[in-house]
Amino acid sequence: MITLQVISVVFGLFMLYWIRVHFRRKHFSIYEYSGWMTIWLLFVYLAIFPQTVQGIIETMHISRVFDLLVIIALMIIVFLSMQNRIAIRRLEKKIEVLVRDRAIQHTKKEHEK
Amino acid sequence: MRMKIAVVIPGYNEEKYLDLVLKGAKKYTSLSVYVDDGSFDRSAEIARKYTSHVLVHESNLGKGAGMRTGCTYAFETLKVDAVVFMDADNQHDPAELPHFFKALEKGADVVFGVRSFTGNMPLFRFLGNKFASVMLNVLFSAYIPDIPSGYKAISKHAYEKLELQSSGYEIEAEIASKVAKHRLPYVIIPIQAIYHDKEKGMNVLDALGIAKKMIEWRLFS
Repeated sequence: MITLQVISVVFGLFMLYWIRVHFRRKHFSIYEYSGWMTIWLLFVYLAIFPQTVQGIIETMHISRVFDLLVIIALMIIVFLSMQNRIAIRRLEKKIEVLVRDRAIQHTKKEHEK
Repeated sequence: MRMKIAVVIPGYNEEKYLDLVLKGAKKYTSLSVYVDDGSFDRSAEIARKYTSHVLVHESNLGKGAGMRTGCTYAFETLKVDAVVFMDADNQHDPAELPHFFKALEKGADVVFGVRSFTGNMPLFRFLGNKFASVMLNVLFSAYIPDIPSGYKAISKHAYEKLELQSSGYEIEAEIASKVAKHRLPYVIIPIQAIYHDKEKGMNVLDALGIAKKMIEWRLFS
């Protein structure tokens, strides 16, 4: 268990550092930054003190704390994937509209000259 | 009725044949619109020798986007009544343009140019082609042969009705599917099949993607 805990803590600390770096580069709003910081601090805390959620995993009939973390992580990943897909679609659509419009406007202007 | 008709030619890196295509089209129409879909060769430069209506996409969006840009420009700026689409790779004989003009002037909303399935059509293209027609028949109860053919014509009324959305090759199937769904009057005319590049055209993955799209158009459009 200790090995897994150490890996989890190191990974969690790396993610906290990574989020901090991107926040300083202004890639995250303060709202996103706070959200991600909370998630990864909680992750590190649970990796060190898994017994904190012992009551919850017993109520949910989950055998280990690690399994609970995996379930929560999967839910977050699915949500983020869907959000990314929607964002990419919207971006593609915007680029398409922009490129098509610029092509038409450019030729129109050439004809008006 | 005399209609104002433009020929819309979308192309991507077609410097090899574009000269021939535009020269040929110029014999039959004074209104050619070339849409360059982000080519990195001399396509747009070649096109400017034959027409002043050259639209350039700054990045490659796909054949469907090129066709739609050409239509928007032709219908809204040139105020044409209909457009004929031709491929830029010299697969279509410009001498057949008058047949499309005639069919449109007789009142057809959509004209499909259909190649005869002779031995010179590559096998995979033939199978993909048949698959698309059978899918259309199953989903929309209409049989349109040679759906992937890019030689077709469409009136302004039909274009507005179809509300095309596709950006890639699937636009050919979208046109056929929506024509069948909206029960628009269409005419089929035989055209010559000319193949220069057997690697081009639909592959199996494209055919599956189109099948998925057809189901989507059947259910939700």
